Amino acid sequence: MRNTVRELRTRQGISQAELAVAMGVSRQTVNAIETGRYLPSLPLAIALARHFGLTVEEVFHVDG
Amino acid sequence: MSTDDSTPERGQPRRPGRRRATRWLVPGTAVAGGVAYLAAGLRAGDPAFAFGGLAVMLATAAAFVLLARRSELVAGLLDRRDERINAIDRDASTFAGMTLVCAVLAAFVWEIAHGRDGQPFAALGALGAVAYVAALAVLRLRR
Repeated sequence: MRNTVRELRTRQGISQAELAVAMGVSRQTVNAIETGRYLPSLPLAIALARHFGLTVEEVFHVDG
Repeated sequence: MSTDDSTPERGQPRRPGRRRATRWLVPGTAVAGGVAYLAAGLRAGDPAFAFGGLAVMLATAAAFVLLARRSELVAGLLDRRDERINAIDRDASTFAGMTLVCAVLAAFVWEIAHGRDGQPFAALGALGAVAYVAALAVLRLRR
């Protein structure tokens, strides 16, 4: 599943570590999500989408 | 996904007191195990096992605390906040459990093939089977 977390994060000008603190996860987990190695749980996906002011479908794409 | 009430809502920091308590659970368990080894060894008149066991378990507890400062994985294993590390821990535990089950079954078959009664591997295998069925029953009600 493709996602746009990295683009959204860099556009916001924050580091992986800062996003990790905001989400209550490790920096490695943010990196794993960005590279597509780890598919987050629904609560974490919703929290990420809310963080960027978007919906889950706008951040995570099933077509990728 | 955990339904544990102690899990904070995403984006919300966990209460500091509870987080500190969780962080010390694994090292505390290691220390408690060491004390149990000490007591068992002294009761059996085996001070080498008593103090050796205590030393190993204290070293394990110290290693967890020290490595947590350098490794996000170890820190995650201690404070249990990261869902990815929790999933890794769960899968690793499953792998270790399956390895143990295979070893117990192989040892049981070996014992039977050599004309023995298969103990204690038969009892360990039965315990594993009962634990699995009980877990299935409980988890089915909860999920």
